[in-house]
Amino acid sequence: MKKLLLVLGLLVVLGLAVTAETYKVASDTTWPPFEWQAGTGELIGFDLDVMRLIGILEGYDVEIVSYSWDIIFIDVGSGSVDIGASGATITAEREQIVDFSMPYWTSNQAVIVLGSSGLNIASALGAGKKIGAQVGTTGAKWVQEQLIDKGVDVQLVEYTLYPLAVLDLVNGNVDAVVQDEPASRASAAADSRLAIVGVIETGEEFGFFVTNGDPKGVLPKINDGLQQLKASTAWADLIKAYMGGAELAKIEAAWTAAAPLLAAKDVVGFASALAAGATSP
Amino acid sequence: MAAAREKNLGNVILRVEGLHKRYGKDEVLKGVSFELRRGETKVVIGPSGTGKSTLLRCINQLSVPDQGRVWLEDIEITHARTNINHMRAQIGFVFQDFNLFSHLTALRNVSLGLVKVKRMRKEEALARARQELARVGLVAKADAYPAELSGGQKQRVSIARALAMDPKLILFDEPTSALDPELIGEVLEVMTHLAESGMTMIVVSHEMGFARAVADRIIFMEGGGILEEGTPAEMFTCPRCERTGQFLRKISELYGETENG
Amino acid sequence: MSAGEILWQSVVPLFSALPVTLTVLGLLLVVGLALGTVLAFAQTYGRRPIRALCVSYEQLFRGIPPIVVLLFFWNGLFQSIGMPRVLVAALALGMRSAAYQSQIFRGAIQAVPAGQMMAARSLGMSRFQAIRSVILPQAFRLALPPWSNEYSSVVKDTAFICVIGGLIDLTRQAMMKVAPLSMRPGIGTQLVLPYLIILGLFYLVLTFSGTALLSLLERQLQIPGFEMKGKVER
Repeated sequence: MKKLLLVLGLLVVLGLAVTAETYKVASDTTWPPFEWQAGTGELIGFDLDVMRLIGILEGYDVEIVSYSWDIIFIDVGSGSVDIGASGATITAEREQIVDFSMPYWTSNQAVIVLGSSGLNIASALGAGKKIGAQVGTTGAKWVQEQLIDKGVDVQLVEYTLYPLAVLDLVNGNVDAVVQDEPASRASAAADSRLAIVGVIETGEEFGFFVTNGDPKGVLPKINDGLQQLKASTAWADLIKAYMGGAELAKIEAAWTAAAPLLAAKDVVGFASALAAGATSP
Repeated sequence: MAAAREKNLGNVILRVEGLHKRYGKDEVLKGVSFELRRGETKVVIGPSGTGKSTLLRCINQLSVPDQGRVWLEDIEITHARTNINHMRAQIGFVFQDFNLFSHLTALRNVSLGLVKVKRMRKEEALARARQELARVGLVAKADAYPAELSGGQKQRVSIARALAMDPKLILFDEPTSALDPELIGEVLEVMTHLAESGMTMIVVSHEMGFARAVADRIIFMEGGGILEEGTPAEMFTCPRCERTGQFLRKISELYGETENG
Repeated sequence: MSAGEILWQSVVPLFSALPVTLTVLGLLLVVGLALGTVLAFAQTYGRRPIRALCVSYEQLFRGIPPIVVLLFFWNGLFQSIGMPRVLVAALALGMRSAAYQSQIFRGAIQAVPAGQMMAARSLGMSRFQAIRSVILPQAFRLALPPWSNEYSSVVKDTAFICVIGGLIDLTRQAMMKVAPLSMRPGIGTQLVLPYLIILGLFYLVLTFSGTALLSLLERQLQIPGFEMKGKVER
């Protein structure tokens, strides 16, 4: 009888140990290279892989769900989603509804124009110009606060999706588009008519975020995992893979190839394989 | 053929006592009372708007009278506890506008009441409906929809529909007033046959020829009340009221006297 | 890969998202129909307090935009009890559609001439029997054309269901494909517009096939001369 109880007890403990915690991560997967949906249907991107790797390091599972941008804040705020990972800039405003992790990325805004327009960064953002940006992004905010509110005579045209801004740029409906640097580089690389005429150092930083007050105690895990990740080679590899201007299709293929390493919880190996695959000639 | 017929009229089948009905400020029925005997054909005449239609509707409670009582044989229709649906199933009603069920064929128009109210089996009801349609001469139109029928045909189907329920009496509310003149005859013919076969009927109508030839008694209504009641002979030749005579003369001028029964 | 192949690659996922849109569409129509019918009858034949309730319901749901209803039902009500997203979306939009459908049915019921009810009652039918056997069949036919309009309207409403986080419908799936599609070297933003047109086509086909089916139904149920309503006969 004692032996049976002991075995049962052991099984329970083992069971508890085996079932790890799962956290729901919401992300607006329309924003390469931070988060998007690969052709295979997988949700990949810098933010998402960082989340996955931190999960491995800290011993929890992540379930990544695709949410519209605005809804992420509503749902994380209400606690129905645990973590938000969507290239969100840390602002005092947002701090009121969610708690941010330590910054994990410094975002700069790039200014794209049509190469044929002959504009430079000063003229692209100068009087009489129409500037496009995705609604709710740092870029849009920058144009509003640093240009329009300061009396510069420009028009801000907002789009629900960044690619639509680029489309309008190509069609000549706006003069310039302001967007985070990685995405801008990807767009410019895809269309030889486009050129990046400058980078605005806004000094803004991205953070992952959780419900105010961190009821599930996730934040310390995220911060700790982030530190561990940054200290390892995986961090540089991820940046190399996603922010190096590699073609999206290549990154997607590399990810699929490296996926078994992710499943095997090999943090360093996965990042390394991803970077190698994405940047291979 | 305006011969007075000696009909054997039975017991009183319908009794109407002191009906009052007002619409807003208008008092349309100011205390109407009469009796109807089994097998009797009573025709109600009078100027428009004198409450003749309202009278009929108060009998089967399509309009609820403000005052007054109605008895069908020994059951008081107007009593609060009377099952009005049960009563209505025994009183046929033919409308001026026919009111055939537009989504059903003539046959199903006639059989619907049998199936729903009398709970007859469908085949039985359809067979019976066919009989009634034959009685009004329209069995060939059994599968036609109301919109495909002429006015006269519609009204005849409507009569068949009322007949199918084996009613104790049938109320006719200006059955030919909405018909083109050519079509009136076929309907009056059916009604005349009905009357001669012993059906108890109250008919509100302007058709003086019909009244004269077929009615057992005629009621003249004006101003919400019954001015006079009598046999056709009495009413047409020596009415008691001056007003009755006036009305009848005027109507006969307008509509002309028809010799058909 | 050619531009066409690349475009097609992004179109394929739309087919897998289609069932989500279709399910929500189908369910919401059923909810709207059932509830709308009840509301219509309650408002036509019910007593004053019931009628007032129906009117309030209709004004409430017709006065609030679909997105707001969706958000409220999800975030405010049903997310916490773990109700499946598809059901929440269908319920939210369905209750809203019911408010519109109720008006359609009421109009149809009232368009049935009063004499029909009178004739039915004069035969001894109860109100319920009259409604079921005489009024409803006619009202149903009269309601078909405007209901077809409601269907078209509702198809478009389903494009908003992605405000329920995690619900990947046609539109949301398309939105997720636009960015990667626009960043292909050598192609750039060229395929964005064609892609959005294709998305539009999906909805067009949905709308059109629905209304075509309803037209077919209308023709099947047609009764010779049913639309004609007049007092004096030829």
